[in-house]
Amino acid sequence: MTDSQHTTSVEVRDVVKSFGGVLALEHVNLEFRVGEVHALLGENGAGKTTLSNILAGIYREESGHIFIGGVERSFHNPAQAIEAGVGMVHQHFRLVNSMSVAENLHLGSPDTPKIVSQRLLIDRARAMMADIGLTVDPEAKIWQLSVGEQQRVEILRVLARGARVLILDEPTAVLTAKEARELFVVMRRLAEGGRTVVFISHKLNEVLEVSDRITVLRGGRHVITREGAGVTARELARLMTGDEAGIEVAHREVRGDDVLVLDGVSARNSRGVEALHGVSFSVRSGEILGIAGVSGNGQTELAEVVTGLRRSDSGRVSIDGAAVTNTSSRRITDLGVGHIPEDRIGVGMVASAPLKDNAVLRHYRDPELSTRRLLKRDRVVEFARSLVEVGRVQTRSVHMPAGQLSGGNQQRLVARRESLLASRLLVAAHPTRGLDVLASKQVQEAIIERRDAGCAVMMISDDLDEILAVSDRILVMYEGRVMGVFNRADYDRERIGLMMGGRTEATS
Amino acid sequence: MILGYRLQRRLDADARRSAIYRISGAVAGLLVSGLFLLVTGRNPVTILADSFEAVFGSKRGIEGVAVQSIPILMCAIGVSLSLRMKVWNIGSDGQFLAGAFVACGIGINVDLPAGVLLPLMMLGSLIGGAIWILVPAAARAHWGVNEIITSLLLNFVAVQLVVWASLGFWRDTTSMVTQSTRSVPFTLPRIPGFDSVSIAFFVPLILALALWVVFRSTKVGYEIDIIGGNPRAASFAGINVPRRVIIVMLTSGAIAGLGGVLQLTGAPGAQALNGGGFSRAYGLSGFIVAALAGASFLGVLVAGLFLSSMFYAGIALQTKGLSVYIIFAIYGMVLIGVAIGETASRYRLYRSVAEMSGPVDLETVTSGAAS
Amino acid sequence: MMFAIIENAFLSILGSAVPASTVIVLAATGVLLNERVGVLNLGQEGFIAIGAVFTVISVQEWGVENSWLALLAGVLGAAVIGAFFALGVVVMRVSQVLVGLAVALGGVGLANQLGTNRNGSPVPTEIQFSDLDPFGVFADNEFFEAFLLHDPVTYLAYLVIPAALWFLLFRTRHGMVVRAVGENPGAVDAVGASVTGLRFFYTVVGSAITGAAGAYMVLTITPTWSPDIARGRGWVALAVVIFAAWRPGRVVLGALLFGTMISFESTAKARSWNLPFLAAVDMGFLLSMLPYIVTLIVILVPAGAAHMGRRIRATDAPAALATPYLREER
Repeated sequence: MTDSQHTTSVEVRDVVKSFGGVLALEHVNLEFRVGEVHALLGENGAGKTTLSNILAGIYREESGHIFIGGVERSFHNPAQAIEAGVGMVHQHFRLVNSMSVAENLHLGSPDTPKIVSQRLLIDRARAMMADIGLTVDPEAKIWQLSVGEQQRVEILRVLARGARVLILDEPTAVLTAKEARELFVVMRRLAEGGRTVVFISHKLNEVLEVSDRITVLRGGRHVITREGAGVTARELARLMTGDEAGIEVAHREVRGDDVLVLDGVSARNSRGVEALHGVSFSVRSGEILGIAGVSGNGQTELAEVVTGLRRSDSGRVSIDGAAVTNTSSRRITDLGVGHIPEDRIGVGMVASAPLKDNAVLRHYRDPELSTRRLLKRDRVVEFARSLVEVGRVQTRSVHMPAGQLSGGNQQRLVARRESLLASRLLVAAHPTRGLDVLASKQVQEAIIERRDAGCAVMMISDDLDEILAVSDRILVMYEGRVMGVFNRADYDRERIGLMMGGRTEATS
Repeated sequence: MILGYRLQRRLDADARRSAIYRISGAVAGLLVSGLFLLVTGRNPVTILADSFEAVFGSKRGIEGVAVQSIPILMCAIGVSLSLRMKVWNIGSDGQFLAGAFVACGIGINVDLPAGVLLPLMMLGSLIGGAIWILVPAAARAHWGVNEIITSLLLNFVAVQLVVWASLGFWRDTTSMVTQSTRSVPFTLPRIPGFDSVSIAFFVPLILALALWVVFRSTKVGYEIDIIGGNPRAASFAGINVPRRVIIVMLTSGAIAGLGGVLQLTGAPGAQALNGGGFSRAYGLSGFIVAALAGASFLGVLVAGLFLSSMFYAGIALQTKGLSVYIIFAIYGMVLIGVAIGETASRYRLYRSVAEMSGPVDLETVTSGAAS
Repeated sequence: MMFAIIENAFLSILGSAVPASTVIVLAATGVLLNERVGVLNLGQEGFIAIGAVFTVISVQEWGVENSWLALLAGVLGAAVIGAFFALGVVVMRVSQVLVGLAVALGGVGLANQLGTNRNGSPVPTEIQFSDLDPFGVFADNEFFEAFLLHDPVTYLAYLVIPAALWFLLFRTRHGMVVRAVGENPGAVDAVGASVTGLRFFYTVVGSAITGAAGAYMVLTITPTWSPDIARGRGWVALAVVIFAAWRPGRVVLGALLFGTMISFESTAKARSWNLPFLAAVDMGFLLSMLPYIVTLIVILVPAGAAHMGRRIRATDAPAALATPYLREER
């Protein structure tokens, strides 16, 4: 692949896209070339998925121009994008589980003959696969396949419709290491065959291994595009995370006892795939341990294991010396553990219930709020009012349904509620996700207040700025493993960024 | 997606708004029924007037409504209890019949004084109704099996059982009625001053009131509402969700079963099971009442009395040429109205992406493709 | 000797059960089509009743004299109601359960109302469907009676329609998309087909087929209108489809099986059977409970197995059954 002879397959010029007033893409300019594997690198929210969705016809650009094969296009729907030769493979596959691979490949395709038979579909599928150079057993039903094979079917489906530009959205998120390697071989082969492969990722290793060129997006802006050969992981990490100064937070040197201790904990996620591999660390009282890393590297499962919402397969968890491995979440709560859950609406609250019911969700058994059978309704309202006041929740009344509060106010409520519970340990999972600046600040303050009171805090966040500003120590997670732990004095944005992308010092 | 409008699910479900929409829907259903009556050549206004006359115009009318309301309210209360947990118990007809069946069996075959027999029969009916919902309850709580089909299927088994008893093993060979079991040996006393309404009428009233208190002031009521609102949050709150679901569903079935024994011993006419007609769609009517009332127990009383009035009017107006089937057709329209109202309160229409509220990083499209 | 008795019983069951079950076969086929596109239609009783009443009205009021036209009248009546049902449930995303129950209750009520003044006056015999052997030449031969001499609609219901449905669903390009709508509407949307349009169309068609079941009923088995004419067969049809794991061939067999069970008592009486240990009446009742209990077991066993970790995929319902589809929530 020489530099001098390249043809542009996709050109993006000055594209802007916003959602409800929030800018997701700001005057982005890039081009993808025929025959290359081009990586789109960036953190959560950098704009890579938005850009790809525009190219694939799912969203429409607000302004700017898009050229496919030299022709200006603007897609109203995915079908048009497919027609233009742009196909996207999403993280959630669009496959019919009960049907065979051959059937899925032909679903809705205008090239399929009107009358079919299983035999015909299978033969055509085999021919297609031979043509493209990828194979999966055409007779197998989708549910019988491994995730890697299912992904291959998705890729085939897109290619079978004539895609010349193939966009893969975080494809290795669901694959094993071996499957990922196989995927890279496929990607290279497709590129060599004259297609353009766009590969969205946050994993530095993979991006460096397989890409011809790498584009870094940050905050909706195009930062840079570099040749894969000529860049180091260190540079990429720096480009991805930027070097903005964070919020000023006062830190103290307090060395308390270990409150939360994990020793060799392994656990699987909801799909049965291993999500935590032998994780060991501890959190001391009076400190905030920030768990840094891009979402999807085991943080969710970590929070669930620590709070008793998920079983671990091996290892030990203890709180204040008491073994709590695989005990009920209620028991763990009773030990003085509060949990600000990642899924606020799905787990932490009942949107249809009044605010006051949500306020006492975790406390209603206290003798202050209820007798053996009855709720002390007046006390409940008082409790709710005081929670609202201290937590600075902006609401007219404690009787309105919690779902009518803004996200920020809901989180203020949850944060205050859980802080009350957290006498020894507070687990905060992505506590400021989706919140406006003021709400974020106030939630962080609630967390810091706990730390100052001697609580141990484990805070998970994919916002590196936040982690750097708020934590006393930082632990970096990648693919379910602890990559490294940093004391405040040794904070190094670049090194942390590297680890978030999967590179430790040694392999830098 | 008609005329460029699209639907988006609301996040801020509001009980009050939902109630308004549901009631409006019911009213709309009635209006449309009126239109249909008009189209088929009948005057809905006179029918309405006649109905009022029949129901409120005489003591007989009020008594008639009260009598009809006992089984309907019992079933409605049972269904409402489950509905608080977002469990859809469509099997209350079956539970009603099962309760009556067990009570009848005890009443016919056990020889004890009425003072002992009645409580025994009532206990039997509670157990019968609970057993009838046991399988759907356990399947739902532990295996996540949808309770709609499972509870529905058992309805028909119950009907066959009752018809069998009426024609077969408990058949009353002395009676001229072809389908009837032997009678249980007593009748519930009437309310003083009334001819046909038994004291059973107070049972649903007291029950509804008691449940209203439970859900207003007790921990248990709070927990059940939380399960209905968001089962995951309920687990988060430390509630044992599967166990609670089963207990509540069993109670729900038991209440419907109790309705069965009240109907058996208290309804005017023979104190016997008369085949499949013993339950005149009380369970389904109860379900409609519960859907209309939105699982509010005081609302159940109001809606239940309302539906019973309609039912009684339908029967009473047969003399004026109206068939009782119209009532069921109207019930159907009311249910559809309630369903539409319920949906309207849960979704909103929007035209463009700008009008959408909430998290917008979803796949909203400015597309012209049909959905 | 024993063999002859069994053969005799078998053939006579077949002879009388087959036409008795035609209603269920038709109704179940309609349910199958609905559920395959993901719509749970609990209103079968209503559609059967509407189909029946419109057929009767067409004969007695509109002067239709041709059996097929009368059948068509019933089918169209049910299709119209089906269109309203689809409008509410597919387009407006109203709760499928509530509206289905409303149709079951209200449809039967409406039909009973429309049929009120027609109790007792039958559809004339000339218009009824007749068996293919009108001269009774073969009437005494049990074998012929069992297999060859049913009315034409029965053959349609048991053979033609299921075969056509199977062909459509499993041998055409369009059929693949139809099946996919019930399994993963998102996949269908992603290829640019209209989920709403497909669901709407096949809901109406399914309702029409169920209406045909009702129309057939008044043109053969019960030519005299009476209230509650469907008498539970709509619900049996729902059970059949679950029992048959949503496969056209099995639906036919299941309908025959369940139909035989529920009509056992009347068949026994008609043929004066004498059973050794249990009165025919009792046996009849036990058997009439059986379809529902069997269906319940068919639902519970895979659920329990799945819970223990062994999924039995072959009996899975269409994955998107009863869930309204909103592209935004994919």
